Amino acid sequence: MTRISARYLGKRIVVSYITLLVIMTLLFALLRSMPGTFISSMITPEMQPEQIQRMREVWGLNEPLWKQYVNFMVNYQTGEFGMSPTNRVPVWDIMIRRLPRTLILFGAAFIVAYIVGPLVGMYLGWLRGSRKDKSIFASSLVMYSMPAFWLAWLFIWLFNYELGWLESTYMYHQFPQFEWTVVSTITNVLHHITLPLISLAFVNWVGVMLVMRPSMNNVTEEDYVFLAQAKGLSERTVMIKHAARNALIPVATQAIVGLAFLIDGSIIIEQVFSWPGIGQLIVNAVISKDYPVAQASFFILAVLVVVMRLLTDVVYTYLDPRIKFGEG
Amino acid sequence: MSLLEVNDLSIQYEVDDDEVHAVDGVDFSIDRGETYGFVGESGCGKTTLGKSLVHLLDSNGFIADGEIWFDGTLPQWENDRGEPRRDVIENDQYPVREDGKTDLAQLDNEQIRDVRWRNIALIPQSAMNALNPVYKVGDQIVEAIRRHEPNTSVEEADTRARDLLERVGIDPDRADDYAHQFSGGMKQRAVIAMAMACNPDILIADEPTTALDVIIQDRILDELDELQEEFNVSILVISHDISVMAEICDQLAVMYGGKIMESGPKAEVFQESANPYTLGLKNSFPTVKQEQSELVSIPGSPPTLLDPDPGCRFVDRCPFAVDECESSHPPMYDVADAEGGRRVEGDDEKSHRSACYRVDDLETMRTEASKEETWQAITQNH
Ligand SMILES: Nc1ncnc2c1ncn2[C@@H]1O[C@H](COP(=O)(O)OP(=O)(O)O)[C@@H](O)[C@H]1O
Ligand code: SF4
Ligand SMILES: [Mg+2]
Repeated sequence: MTRISARYLGKRIVVSYITLLVIMTLLFALLRSMPGTFISSMITPEMQPEQIQRMREVWGLNEPLWKQYVNFMVNYQTGEFGMSPTNRVPVWDIMIRRLPRTLILFGAAFIVAYIVGPLVGMYLGWLRGSRKDKSIFASSLVMYSMPAFWLAWLFIWLFNYELGWLESTYMYHQFPQFEWTVVSTITNVLHHITLPLISLAFVNWVGVMLVMRPSMNNVTEEDYVFLAQAKGLSERTVMIKHAARNALIPVATQAIVGLAFLIDGSIIIEQVFSWPGIGQLIVNAVISKDYPVAQASFFILAVLVVVMRLLTDVVYTYLDPRIKFGEG
Repeated sequence: MSLLEVNDLSIQYEVDDDEVHAVDGVDFSIDRGETYGFVGESGCGKTTLGKSLVHLLDSNGFIADGEIWFDGTLPQWENDRGEPRRDVIENDQYPVREDGKTDLAQLDNEQIRDVRWRNIALIPQSAMNALNPVYKVGDQIVEAIRRHEPNTSVEEADTRARDLLERVGIDPDRADDYAHQFSGGMKQRAVIAMAMACNPDILIADEPTTALDVIIQDRILDELDELQEEFNVSILVISHDISVMAEICDQLAVMYGGKIMESGPKAEVFQESANPYTLGLKNSFPTVKQEQSELVSIPGSPPTLLDPDPGCRFVDRCPFAVDECESSHPPMYDVADAEGGRRVEGDDEKSHRSACYRVDDLETMRTEASKEETWQAITQNH
């Protein structure tokens, strides 16, 4: 596995880093263009002008703009996200608590969507035009066209309200005499994560399938698939090893777009299911005008996208040997 | 004894509610170590014929009729000497004959997979695109070997793969390369090497030289010739290019509209052509045409084969057509008899035969066919 060169990887990392610098700059600009300053929410009508002035100083708002910018950029790169004006705790502490929860939900949904999507797309593309293909394809399109929150409510109504199988709020439940063993913790979390997870994955696997199916369809026409058949390989081997393996290449490209959708969806889903992650935090922070928290949350999501993008890039180069490594 | 004996084979494609009669009642047989060529314009059913032998037709295609007797059988029906077992021959449930031949036409999807590559290796028309872009070339050969010889270790198969590449003139180290690192000719040769991986009895090469430049074409044909000598493999070569056939075939069949129009030993079919279609085809190729100065192609194009008319398939383009030609497609007549002015049907698949009602008038046809006006007259008739 020496196909990917250090030079190529280094280049991709530099590009990712520059992307993040640009995003930070945009966030900085965005914050300055908000109505009021980010301390507006802390100012009460009874405050004296001197008090306000002191607050401005503490928060660094009296520095010249360029200095504020430099400070901001330096601070952000060292994980110094400032204080939350509403919670009066460092933003970093909030992030560090919330991020893993989002990663669990997001990561699980990503894995489910990118396993189910390619698998279903592979079968439908292989059976192209058959009745099975048509009916499964049509029903997944119907699901795809539903808004994520609507689907989430449908699941809540069915599995929580009607059947009572699964929880629809929070990440876990704190019973008075709950024993936190490994197994009990996992079942506890599973009870809570399943609904938001399938709601999130459901909307997204179809997007993956929509790329895989036609890709698979094209690939089955390829001469190398014919040759694989001529070699006497079983239908399974031809379908998976020769056809699907090639059909996956465009899916890796789609993943970059799919990621953005997934993050988008996770903000809504966290809200609907009261999942205490970054997505929920963003909504709360915006409502309470807690700009430092909102800013840091956006930044964390941006880092997530950039890192995943880097990963898909690496995966892509492994999937397609025709890409020249170290020259990209 | 022949290696492959094809009787009255018909292949059809279902299109909407109609059938395309792509191959219609074809008979031929191939001996061990022989090179048998099918030649004819594009759309005459050559590819269909080749693919049907190992059931590799498009999904709307099927064997409508006929038998494909192959001298060999499935691994599970063999004894230790590689011959069909007695109980298999005697049991009517198996399509295996007393002489040890198996009817490939009767095998199901699972069974035919064991015949593919192990017994009959088919190299598709566009072999240059037949290598999978995401796997190393060597690994793709290893895969073929291990599919049919599961007891062979990966290392052993890899050594064999490299050896095969070397035999077709490719540096064995290139086994670790991907297809996109190969030139067109190399890809073609790599696929030929892959076809020899399981030491097949028959190699079907569909248009092996099309899309290659002339020097590489020659190289490929030489390669096929050498492999044939080395492995004693029979080659069924398909081409629209009659000059390719002139170089490598022992036996030749000229195909038109799903039918064999003329067949026999190559030299006889070439030098004593006895069918209007063969005569016309020869006129249109520079290398085979001798006396004549100008190249003349046959006006018109092959029929669509969708529910064909009952007459001779070539009647619309034939300058020698008479009323009889409209009635039904002619049977295969013996050419030796025809030279003597007699029109007698020939049963021997290996001898020189021609499907034409006017075989007894060979002199006239041969003289007239070499004249340009003869063929131009057809354009005026239509
Ligand atoms: N999948 C298919 N469905 C319908 N008709 C087909 C199909 N494949 C080939 N044909 C038709 O069958 C005839 C023979 O085609 P083919 O075997 O490719 O001829 P050749 O190899 O001699 O050019 C042609 O008329 C072609 O249009
Ligand atoms: S049978 Fe008639 S139409 Fe057919 S090739 Fe002979 S002369 Fe021509
Ligand atoms: Mg063809």
